[in-house]
Amino acid sequence: MSLAAEVPQSLPKRVRHADRAGLTARLSFDWLVPALFLAPAFVTLGLWIYWPLIEAFRLSFYEWNLLPTSDPEFVGLANYRNLLALTELRAAAWNTVVYTFGLLPLTVGLPLLVALMTREAVGRAGAVYRALIFVPMMIAPVVVAVVWRWLLNPDHGIINKLLVGLGLSKIRFLQDADTAIWTIIFITGWKLVGFSTLLFASAMTNIDRSLIEAARIDGASEGQIARRVIVPLVMPTTIFLGVLTVLHGAQWSFVYVNVLTQGGPLNSTTNLYYLLWEYGFGTFAIGWSTAAGMLLFAVFSVFAVAGLKLMNRQDAHVAR
Amino acid sequence: MTEITRRDALVLAGSTLAATAIGTEAFAQAKIAPPNTNPVTISYYNYNLASAGAGADATRELIAEFMAQYPHIKVEGVPVPSGQVLARVQADLVAGRVPDVAQLVFSDLDFAVRNLGVKPLQDIVPADEWAAHTAGMVPAGLKLGAIGDKAYGLAYVFSTPVLFYNATLFKAAGLDPDAPPKTWSEVKAAALKIKASGKDGMYPSIYSEFDWLLQSIFLSNGGRVMSEDRTRIMFGEKESVEALEIMRDMLKAGAHANIRDAESGDAFMSGNLGMILITSVYQRAFLAAAQDKFEVRAAMMPTFGVKPAKPTNSGSALFIMSKDPAKQRAAWELMKFMTSRRGYTVITSKIGYLPLRLDIVDDPAYLGEWTKANPLVRPNLAQLERLNQWVAYPGANYKQISRILVSAANEAVFGEGDVGKVMREAQERAQALMPKGS
Repeated sequence: MSLAAEVPQSLPKRVRHADRAGLTARLSFDWLVPALFLAPAFVTLGLWIYWPLIEAFRLSFYEWNLLPTSDPEFVGLANYRNLLALTELRAAAWNTVVYTFGLLPLTVGLPLLVALMTREAVGRAGAVYRALIFVPMMIAPVVVAVVWRWLLNPDHGIINKLLVGLGLSKIRFLQDADTAIWTIIFITGWKLVGFSTLLFASAMTNIDRSLIEAARIDGASEGQIARRVIVPLVMPTTIFLGVLTVLHGAQWSFVYVNVLTQGGPLNSTTNLYYLLWEYGFGTFAIGWSTAAGMLLFAVFSVFAVAGLKLMNRQDAHVAR
Repeated sequence: MTEITRRDALVLAGSTLAATAIGTEAFAQAKIAPPNTNPVTISYYNYNLASAGAGADATRELIAEFMAQYPHIKVEGVPVPSGQVLARVQADLVAGRVPDVAQLVFSDLDFAVRNLGVKPLQDIVPADEWAAHTAGMVPAGLKLGAIGDKAYGLAYVFSTPVLFYNATLFKAAGLDPDAPPKTWSEVKAAALKIKASGKDGMYPSIYSEFDWLLQSIFLSNGGRVMSEDRTRIMFGEKESVEALEIMRDMLKAGAHANIRDAESGDAFMSGNLGMILITSVYQRAFLAAAQDKFEVRAAMMPTFGVKPAKPTNSGSALFIMSKDPAKQRAAWELMKFMTSRRGYTVITSKIGYLPLRLDIVDDPAYLGEWTKANPLVRPNLAQLERLNQWVAYPGANYKQISRILVSAANEAVFGEGDVGKVMREAQERAQALMPKGS
């Protein structure tokens, strides 16, 4: 499902030859050493990524339920046609975009802010603070979903009780087609804030203190230090989290969609991953599933390539 | 498909040998081992075990009782949620881990028989044993595990749609709790009165994963989801559309609560919903939630005008998946126990499904006392007589077809588009997924 999104293996770009004097003598075996070094990476990539990818592409033209008792039946493009004919597909595609970009403030913006604000918190207080932020990350997703379901219940959920207590009207967070997707995005993001904050915090710890001291001596305010020094220096982490969210965001919401709304009300919370699971995995309809996987692969490859380009450019920039 | 694997051949050879050795005619036909006390372990895929609370507790209790009675048989319960049990069985079969006994939902029957190699029970179990065990079971119920005249699964737990109502809310709204609504138009009128008194009126829990309840709504209005010869999808036809239009009309009028299936049970239990059409399995939970707060009663499924209501059933049958004669014997003993008088006593009183053996209902040795204390089960039992089969779609895409139906019904009732158009389009798309050449 997330083939395109795998972080690339870092392979040696160039193999140096320390001893050029013996070049001629060893010419015939020259390829062997680098090949041996590369082999494990290539074999792993081939076995776990490319072979399944090719196999999935092939199976997307068949109707088969994976059973040894029946033979795969070639159906041409029928799986793709069936998928594209689903009325839910348009809603699912749009919602996927909403999930992807709706999550960014929670997976990048808020954690950056929290990391900035807590970077000076040291000692026991700092540790407790960071642990508290990280706790949601450690709770099982299904448990998170069920807890939120009770908190948000329109009749007796504590949040609606609070709203009513404040003189506001009740919100049907998960039942109203207009609010449901934002509720799911919030829950998905809420669970990820700790993870992103941790990454930002560790990126900030790696910043050379002397840069900050220098800025301070030059009379920069704390706000300016954050804006002009720290934020630019953690840009690789920001871009990494951004790309990760774009590529995986809609997938992360899967559990909450499955437990809380099953894609409803009126398909307002379904997304491509949920739709794929709904139609493909109930009976291991491998043709449906692989065809949907291929479509996702095609779309997300574009994002992945763009994201990787952006990250490479940033790396080059930072290195300079 | 017809290829015989080496293991099959060995089993075949082994059982032929056994049959020759024993030399009885019955075993030349049925491969099952004779009753014995050789130690054996069988796996039992069960979806009640995967539920939280009553279903799992009662099933564990029955399994424990069974193992005490048959000390040589060890049963390993495998909990799998009902929506996933078929996929799990399938995955395990692919992985070479054959479940010995599986509880499969009725809608999976056709697929299981055609694709999972499930054999008719009559081919596994000796005829006299089959006849002796099924005597006294509701014939309409038994038929549910069959395709044509062959029983592939032994009908196990099931329920019918029941209209539960909150008698306390009825009184508060000036309605007579002794005369619950019988038709959908009476339901609408009553629901509007309850709505006027500040609570939600009615909710039919028909819009979720399994389409059995939706099918009974269509049937009750003279529609069907599929033609009798199982070739044509029909849920976009006039009668079904009309039934959904009635639901939409009630929703717009405020009689049909604007909630969703997932929360409807909670809404009723919290005392905020006047009526709910839902599986009878909820009875226990409803009674527990209502205790000392309000009074729950049950009525039969409402009718469309003078047309008779045609309740379908939710539920499952037990299937022998094992090909090993010794395990088949153990599996059969387990299935007999689970569907025995004792089995149904526990299942009905502790989970809330229907007993497929009506002779235990008033028998003080079994359900007698319980039935007296729980008259709510009566409407459900009355519907047992005129049960309609929950139609399972044919072909590899059967689950996708039922998803299309459920999704379209949601759109038809809760959406804004034309009900007829939504359903006809869905019918067309579903028809395209039916097996070719049928």
